[in-house]
Amino acid sequence: MAAAAMVVAGGGDFSDLREIKKQLLNVAERSRERGLQHSGKWAAELAFALEPLPLNELPPPPELTEEDARDLDAYTLAKSYFDLKEYDRAAYFLQGCKSQKAYFLYMYSRYLSGEKKKDDETVDSLGPLEKGQVKNEALRELRVELSKKHKAQELDGFGLYLYGVVLRKLDLVKEAIDVFVEAAHVLPLHWGAWLELCNLITDKEMLKFLSLPDTWMKEFFLAHIYTELQLIEEALQKYQSLIDAGFSKSTYIISQIAVAYHNIRDIDKALSIFSELRKQDPYRIENMDTFSNLLYVRSMKPELSYLAHNLCEIDKYRVETCCVIGNYYSLRSQHEKAALYFQRALKLNPRYLGAWTLMGHEYMEMKNTSAAIQAYRHAIEVNKRDYRAWYGLGQTYEILKMPFYCLYYYRRAHQLRPNDSRMLVALGECYEKLNQLVEAKKCYWRAYAVGDVEKMALVKLAKLHEQLNESEQAAQCYIKYIQDIYSCGEVVEHLEVSTAFRYLAQYYFKCKLWDEASACAQKCCAFNDTREEGKALLRQILQLRNQGETSSTDVPAPFFLPASLSANNTPTRRVSPLNLSSVTP
Amino acid sequence: MAGGAGAVHESLYFNPMLTNGVVHANVFGVRDWVTPHKMALLVLLSELGRAGPQLGLLERRRLNRLLPPLLQGPDMALSRLRKAIEECCPQLAGSVHIRLKLMAEGELKDMEQFFDDLSDSFSGTEPEVHKTSVVGLFLRHMILAYNKLSFSQVYKLYTALQQYFHKDEKKDGADENEMELTNPEELDGKMEKEELDGPLREEEMACSGPLSQKQAEYFLSQQASLLKNDETKALAPASLQKELNNLLKFNPDFAEAHYLSYLNNLRVQDVFSSTHSLLHYFDRLILTGAESKSNGDEGYGRSLRYAALNLAALHCRFGHYQQAELALQEAIRIAQESNDHVCLQHCLSWLYILEQKIFDSCVLLEHSVNKSLHFGLPYLASLGIQSLVQQRAFAGKAANKLMDALKDSDLLHWKHSLSELIDISIAQKTAIWRLYGRSTMALQQAQTLLSMNSLEAVNVGVQQNNTESFAVVLCHLAELHAEQGYFAAAAEILKHLKERFPPNSQHAQLWMLFDQKIQFERAMNDGRYHAADSLVAGITALNSIEGVYRKAIVLKAQNQMSEAHKLLQKLLIHCQKIKNTEMVIRVLLSIAELYWRSSCHTIALPVLLQALALAREYSLQYLASETVLNLAFSQLILGIPEQALNILHMAIEPVLAHGAVLDKGCAMFLVAKCQVASAASYAPQKKIEALESAILNLNEAKTYFAKVDCKEQLRDVLYFQARLFHTLGKTQERNKCAMLFRQLHQELPAHGVPLINAFK
Repeated sequence: MAAAAMVVAGGGDFSDLREIKKQLLNVAERSRERGLQHSGKWAAELAFALEPLPLNELPPPPELTEEDARDLDAYTLAKSYFDLKEYDRAAYFLQGCKSQKAYFLYMYSRYLSGEKKKDDETVDSLGPLEKGQVKNEALRELRVELSKKHKAQELDGFGLYLYGVVLRKLDLVKEAIDVFVEAAHVLPLHWGAWLELCNLITDKEMLKFLSLPDTWMKEFFLAHIYTELQLIEEALQKYQSLIDAGFSKSTYIISQIAVAYHNIRDIDKALSIFSELRKQDPYRIENMDTFSNLLYVRSMKPELSYLAHNLCEIDKYRVETCCVIGNYYSLRSQHEKAALYFQRALKLNPRYLGAWTLMGHEYMEMKNTSAAIQAYRHAIEVNKRDYRAWYGLGQTYEILKMPFYCLYYYRRAHQLRPNDSRMLVALGECYEKLNQLVEAKKCYWRAYAVGDVEKMALVKLAKLHEQLNESEQAAQCYIKYIQDIYSCGEVVEHLEVSTAFRYLAQYYFKCKLWDEASACAQKCCAFNDTREEGKALLRQILQLRNQGETSSTDVPAPFFLPASLSANNTPTRRVSPLNLSSVTP
Repeated sequence: MAGGAGAVHESLYFNPMLTNGVVHANVFGVRDWVTPHKMALLVLLSELGRAGPQLGLLERRRLNRLLPPLLQGPDMALSRLRKAIEECCPQLAGSVHIRLKLMAEGELKDMEQFFDDLSDSFSGTEPEVHKTSVVGLFLRHMILAYNKLSFSQVYKLYTALQQYFHKDEKKDGADENEMELTNPEELDGKMEKEELDGPLREEEMACSGPLSQKQAEYFLSQQASLLKNDETKALAPASLQKELNNLLKFNPDFAEAHYLSYLNNLRVQDVFSSTHSLLHYFDRLILTGAESKSNGDEGYGRSLRYAALNLAALHCRFGHYQQAELALQEAIRIAQESNDHVCLQHCLSWLYILEQKIFDSCVLLEHSVNKSLHFGLPYLASLGIQSLVQQRAFAGKAANKLMDALKDSDLLHWKHSLSELIDISIAQKTAIWRLYGRSTMALQQAQTLLSMNSLEAVNVGVQQNNTESFAVVLCHLAELHAEQGYFAAAAEILKHLKERFPPNSQHAQLWMLFDQKIQFERAMNDGRYHAADSLVAGITALNSIEGVYRKAIVLKAQNQMSEAHKLLQKLLIHCQKIKNTEMVIRVLLSIAELYWRSSCHTIALPVLLQALALAREYSLQYLASETVLNLAFSQLILGIPEQALNILHMAIEPVLAHGAVLDKGCAMFLVAKCQVASAASYAPQKKIEALESAILNLNEAKTYFAKVDCKEQLRDVLYFQARLFHTLGKTQERNKCAMLFRQLHQELPAHGVPLINAFK
């Protein structure tokens, strides 16, 4: 075949962009011929990001073999039926075709027909248990036929891909991975096979043991899978090098980078990249749900509203659109409507994970805890590693006042995201409620150590120390907290700053460190709730000072300013989950 | 001894499927769906109606007995159904088959017609079927379910029927008439099809295909009850888990499967998976509870409380008492907030179990019993009574009152058919009788339980026999047999225990302990002290106090007196602290023995008197008798054999009635010694009589010792007997004894303790 003749450049070698572009155009065309629209789209998008080719270098239309010519009529007819989603009809006319292209379309139509019927059947089955048992009846036959061909080595790259898909649908994961790897070797340009591999590989170890073809496509694959496996740093590096190699205009890469930043909660960067993406590709709907999540987190109502209206105009029956609208309503506290839109998204695509979790959040807002639990559980069923759903379940039980019960869920979430401070703070709060102060302290301290997002861990830790009469440690925590706040230079008044100063003032007062005490007391006066206390303390200090010797007049620089900022402020990057108590799971 | 009964209650974790000790796995919303199997039943019913009076009375009765299980049971293959009908009435089976064939090979309208005709059976002045009868309800359910089906569902049902019928047909065809000629084309198609099935068969075996709703329910309830009653009969943990995973793959909403998976994980002591399954179950249960309107908000809150309670139970089972306490506190708080007294009672019982781990508290328990009675929770109440009785027995309360209480709670059990509690009660009585030292009564109770037909056997057909009660009773039985010298029988019982409670199962530790104790006793009797010493480690692992005690005994036997004494003193203090009176007395006895072995009889006396007072106070009769024997021995050595004989009369009866063979032998030996000693001052004629009776007693002792194969004691007895015969001038007998003595003496090593000066 044509692809076999084409030399695909080795891994990381992007020197000949023209050649790459040719290959992309070629594979886009061939994918389209076989009805593989997503892979075609991907290749085309990437090709678009590269410089246009002059006329004389455009790849020639693929040559037709004898077999192709024989099957041409059947193929043309069937392809048009296929495009109209009349899969059975297409398959009927393709029976007996021998050419690779027609054979693939034949098998693929049968597969899709089975899938479509399966989806239709789930609506009216004969019993609740049977609901889950509706299977794609065609799969087994397809597997048998394809495995025969596979043994005889008659499958081309696309055929292998289809065989892998069939195997995966039959839950034969190991076999499927092998076949996909083979497909990637035979036809490295077909993005679909790579993407399927991404879904099947669950950890870094598995990735290490795969023998992948050494082509430039591998770089895209690696970048993608690093994002999936939450190895964001590595993923960003890969994407950067791809951009440097000349794919700077690719919307695909830009969107992936934005998603990666979203995953590490670098909200500002992600937001700016998404805005850029929308400028380049204003009618894009993919990934806009992630964008809306970011807008939601930052409470950017007007932007979210604009996005929602815009997407609704483009296509209101898309999962992403529903999700954005749901977020929009949620931000406006219209939770019923939000839940409705998430439900709609799930109707459009029951495997769309994010919507389950988001719906859970909405039900939580509506105080419908049982529905929330249901939604979260569904999310976990779709993806066991969805930490937000575990976290949500924990929150639900916390609202139901079951702090011990929710520990389990928070712990699960924590295991999935060991360096996310939110779970740690939640865990700490639960332990505090259960009066397990030692564990609580551990949690808060770790939350601070991994980089506290909400900056509450230290205050909570300080209060714990306060409770335990460990005034030394409490003061230390408050100092660190204040340093933290000031170093951020946040304009927003932090609620607990006054508490911190009040405690510190009293602490220094007790320790008879008048200078520090008076500095803190003065700070106290800046806040409404502590003003009176601060003044009273200042008076007391003055009195006591007058009794004693007069202190040196030069006031040292306030200790709490960033000058003495501790070095451990940088969060450790990758940490193992906290071992809270050995006996509990 | 009675320690075995201590763990009885822990096995009764409360679960939502279990109310008053009965498993109700079928808590699913009962909704009927028309399946091909059900259609076959409908055909059967309509044929039954049509056949009417032509059927013989006998056939009719047989069919009537067949119907209810068919109507309620899981779906089955057509061939099996046909066989079942054929056994009752072959003629009817034929007509059912024909009608099914007509329907399956006909058109869709035949099926539709069939359902239209079904409702006719209700009409008329004298309908064939009453609307409210079992059959009538079934018919109406089916008609209703059929009418609800959409067009495509009706078509699907029809194709399902065809498949159902043809599967059967094909099987028949394969058996009988393979000869039928088919044209080559069809044959080709068949080949293709078979090839198609070929490579897939293996996986299909692995997951054995999806189950229907009813089948799944049946499977779950069956396995759950097997797990509860007879674990060995249930599927192996791994394969059960596989089945459950399969079930859950097809229907993740099937919450009960998660619960079963939790129970299954408990079997293999997997704390991670069991927690996971338990929480998943309650997450799922919560949503089904919220969905059904009848339960409403109430049901939802209820499952939350029980979720926390079950979590507490789980932690308790894995020995995480602190965690269990936290979870329990949570359950109690929520239950209090929602005024759920029933749940609170459950919590209270668990609180008791947890507190027991730390210290005894009767107050909680009494409170629990009262409240449970008040709220009409017989299960919980008698469980409480049983715990209370157990505790009081250890605390030395009057035996008659305890037995009365047990009898009263037994009345309650029989009234409510709580077979599990009846078992526990009997096991507890066995243990209590053992504690009091009445081995014959204990033996009787143990046999009662083992030969009793469980109530459940009537209901489910499963003998309830892998509960803790059975383990306890069997262990006691083994020990009782070993005490009487029937070591083969004891070994047999232990072998049975090993089979019934495999080493990784929940109650396996019980028999492990008893097994080692029996082995230890044997080793001590045979004088293989090093073997006994090696068993101590194993015993200590299972029960630390018992282990320390045995260690001291071994030390004592090896003449390491000061070490033994040190150990025993430590143990004494510990046991007095935890109020383990039984062990205190045993330790005191051992200490006394140490004293008289070092010839300090005067010091031994107060110790023995202390032991006697304690044993009397706690009505531990057997220990009391043993103490009396020791006392008598001390008196004998101190030169007041008449006094010794006097008090021996008190002890000898209980020892002979209930004692271990070894103890019996020792007692008789001691009696003989006392007789001889006191005879010294008698007139010659009377003296001869006394000596002769002593020889008889020695003979008895000899038989006892021979039974347990105690050669050392046997040697002593023979020596003593030879001396007595010598005194009486019976040379022949004397020589015989002397010869036997010499044989034994050559076999055994001589050891330091003087021959006559030792009792035991």
